[in-house]
Amino acid sequence: MARFIVTRLLWMIPSLLVISFLAFVLIQLPPGDFVTTYIATLASSNEVVDQAAAAALRERFGLDQPMLVQYLKWVWNIVTAGDFGMSFEWQQPVQGLIWERMALTLILTFSTLIVTWGIALPIGVFSAVKKYSIGDYIATFFSFVGLAVPSFLLALVLMYVAVVEFGQEVGGLFSEEYVQAPWSWGRVVDLMHHLWIPVIILAVSGTASLIRVMRANMLDELSKPYVTTARAKGLSEFRLLLKYPVRVALNPFISTLAWLLPNLISGSIIVAIVLNLPTAGPLLLQSLMAQDMYLAGAFVLLICALTLIGSLLSDILLALADPRIRLE
Amino acid sequence: MAPTDKRTPNLPAAWSLNRRRFIQGAAGVAALSALPSSFTFAQSAAKEAPDLAKLVAEGKLPPLAQRLPESPDVVQVKQVGRYGGALRRGLRGSADHNGILKVIGPQNLVRWNVEFTGVVPNLAHKWEVSADATQFTFYLRKGLKWSDGKPFTADDIVFSIEDCAKNADLYKATPSQIVIGGKPVVCEKVDETTVKFTFAAPYALFLENLATPLGQHTTLFAKHYCSQFHPKYNPKVDEQAKAAGQSDWPAYFRSKCGDIEIPSRWGNPDRPTMDPWIIKEPYTGGATRVVAVRNPFFWQVDQQGNQLPYIDQVTYSISQDVESLMLDVVGGKIDYQDRHINTLSNKPTLSQNTKRGDYRLVELIAANAQQVQIHLNILHKDPKMRAMFGNKEFRKALSLGIDRKEIIELVYLGQSVPYQTSPRPGHPWYHEKLANQFTEFDPAQANAILDKLGYKKAGNFRTHPDGSKVFFAIDVIPTLYPDQVDVLELVKRYWADIGIEIKVNTIERALYYTRGDNNDHDAASWSGSGGLDLMFDPRDYFAYHPQGSRYAIPWALWFTSGGKSGEEPPESQKKRFALYDQARGTTDLQKRAEYVKQMLDLTYEAFETVGICLGVNTFGVCRNNLQNVPDKMPDSWSYPNPSPTLPAQYFFKA
Repeated sequence: MARFIVTRLLWMIPSLLVISFLAFVLIQLPPGDFVTTYIATLASSNEVVDQAAAAALRERFGLDQPMLVQYLKWVWNIVTAGDFGMSFEWQQPVQGLIWERMALTLILTFSTLIVTWGIALPIGVFSAVKKYSIGDYIATFFSFVGLAVPSFLLALVLMYVAVVEFGQEVGGLFSEEYVQAPWSWGRVVDLMHHLWIPVIILAVSGTASLIRVMRANMLDELSKPYVTTARAKGLSEFRLLLKYPVRVALNPFISTLAWLLPNLISGSIIVAIVLNLPTAGPLLLQSLMAQDMYLAGAFVLLICALTLIGSLLSDILLALADPRIRLE
Repeated sequence: MAPTDKRTPNLPAAWSLNRRRFIQGAAGVAALSALPSSFTFAQSAAKEAPDLAKLVAEGKLPPLAQRLPESPDVVQVKQVGRYGGALRRGLRGSADHNGILKVIGPQNLVRWNVEFTGVVPNLAHKWEVSADATQFTFYLRKGLKWSDGKPFTADDIVFSIEDCAKNADLYKATPSQIVIGGKPVVCEKVDETTVKFTFAAPYALFLENLATPLGQHTTLFAKHYCSQFHPKYNPKVDEQAKAAGQSDWPAYFRSKCGDIEIPSRWGNPDRPTMDPWIIKEPYTGGATRVVAVRNPFFWQVDQQGNQLPYIDQVTYSISQDVESLMLDVVGGKIDYQDRHINTLSNKPTLSQNTKRGDYRLVELIAANAQQVQIHLNILHKDPKMRAMFGNKEFRKALSLGIDRKEIIELVYLGQSVPYQTSPRPGHPWYHEKLANQFTEFDPAQANAILDKLGYKKAGNFRTHPDGSKVFFAIDVIPTLYPDQVDVLELVKRYWADIGIEIKVNTIERALYYTRGDNNDHDAASWSGSGGLDLMFDPRDYFAYHPQGSRYAIPWALWFTSGGKSGEEPPESQKKRFALYDQARGTTDLQKRAEYVKQMLDLTYEAFETVGICLGVNTFGVCRNNLQNVPDKMPDSWSYPNPSPTLPAQYFFKA
């Protein structure tokens, strides 16, 4: 097991390099660069930027060099000094911009994950065991509604109702007094007060599909001979369910853990924008639009790294959860 | 036809300037010496905000008399206000620093009067201009102080210009506002409160330029603070820059002292300013809120001697999404806002909710001449297209083929009139022939012209003389101008009726610019500037702007590069450029109007861009308890509304 983990960790290094290169190329692909976007903004407020000034700007940002050189410099600084470069737009080191956002994103992502699983798994098990009961139909009905409503729409409707009907504010993750405050117990509590809204919104659609997956998997397992055998041997119904069918039915959940992380980050961008959440998504989108490539690159790289770590985790968990899987 | 009220539904009476008033005003450079402040200010009677009075009592702040200049700027406010409250506004997540600038900055030697017709004293209480408009002497108010209490003197201005704006490491090219005839200004200190600017050639527009946001280099940098990031005053600055994680000293300097138009101007709470409010919670990447608090050393008072600003602080919430900003407005969480929400499509929602949000709408007078302007690329790379677009008769046919009245009814709810780009009706430079030529809807004549030019119909659509199909694309940015997409869809229908097939090419902003920069576009749409502020933005009257004059970008490049790149323009363009230069260089306003008229005559003859209708006025929302906000104000970047209406004298009714 230890050897497996070490090998996988080592493989991550070349993977990350390839990913970082692809990310860099992708960010560069759209026409123009940061200076184009910047000049476009200036030009719409009728400022004239002549070509010499534009060239000077490109030189200042290092945009006049070939892409490969820009890429190598970027990676070199990350590897040797942990320096992710400067954000063009904010004239601030990228590190300062991403960490808190990434931390909040992870908090949001994991809260959503826990809530989603917490709701989806019991309901999925329930509706498989009580197939075609009233409860199953109700769960099925709501899960289809949840699947059909886009989460950003849900967020907008929720905000509208809150503002117009109740005069309440729903955006953001913190109250006024804690927005810029350093971390403290009060701030954590404040975060908890705000976190449940985006978590519920994001969990709704995820829960719905997971209920269906769980239900289908369970139905497969419930009819298998080992269940009948166990039941015949007098195992209590509850223990029987948890001991084998549920454990086996969890397999697809664990193996998709790796995709959940990037999914929850990218899938929540629109919700985060609508709800004005200080998470990574909106800043990533913004930096892509401004072609602020070091900032965007750092985000993409981090999300990719998370995916790699996630897939390692899911492999380890699978080996632990499913007796049929062996590492050798 | 003379401009009448019927033709100008959007123009309030106050804006129908007559020529005389304009000459006193808009081009008001003639004011060789502004009125000296004859008002002797009784400092003992001065009053201040309670929180400041408390600090004074505790000995943490000098008394008001020591904080105010000897002759503060006395603002004649409509209602004397009361202290307190927070002005709540909204910013967009990214690159919205000008949303801060337009309220808090720009504080310069002079500022626009509220009407946008001329400049009035600001940090300088008077000035003198030499007869040939090459020398400008400014007299600063005595005893002005930066927001940290240090004196503001001529040294600061000389530092800002000589050491910073003219520094080749900091600014690769000296900002064009202080360059004339290829030579940058020379700025000298006469005494503590007097500075002299000397230009190599007449620069009659210098005062007006100082009143625009881009003219702010003079007062941007406090010497006592910013010199520590400058190698001339701090030899160790490069090491310090590296230690701070910056690549070199200019980057370090910018991150600490900012520049006119970059976010980091609002990212350092320690930077001393002359603004009414100073940044407390900075605008940095990822910030969700920006807060600016009262500057205890602010140098304006009302007519009763109360120190301004009345309002304690300005709070900006940062929304990623315009819809959530709209919700804030409707929910009454915004006190004053025009940016981002003032689109025509938002107006019904905002009008319906005035009660719920307890706000009123304020009218913003468009400085634009044109709501939608179609730039056909006269210098197209394809010779066939170039011949087509380059032909004035062809452009005339296209213009006659547009039903402007229907567009105005359908897209602009009747709130505009058919118009070609010209100064707005009521402006002294209004050019009737230019404004109205080829705006009638006459498909028969359009067809006849196209037939005559040899663009024969084959089926429904026409072909070039060589038999290939006539087809082109018009680039438009849907996220920036959603209304223009609707207009162009209608234009597509009208032109299909006269046999011209087009594609409405909706593209993203950077691509739009890249295509323009490479001269790869067939045609492009944009709004048209120069309705009220022609002298600042003549890009639609001749090829002046290398990114903006999209009908002939190579000509603009030729002008800006002094003939080194681009393509040599025709005589008419060169004459217009020369006339503009002459207008810019003369203090004689009669003469300036004459030059501009000649220039507009040439624009009229050349007929290069196809305009649709007069720029439509927009609006802002203002909470009902916020007072001293004018009901109408110009909406322009050169007049960075609402700043010239002095937000420092806004206040909240009890």
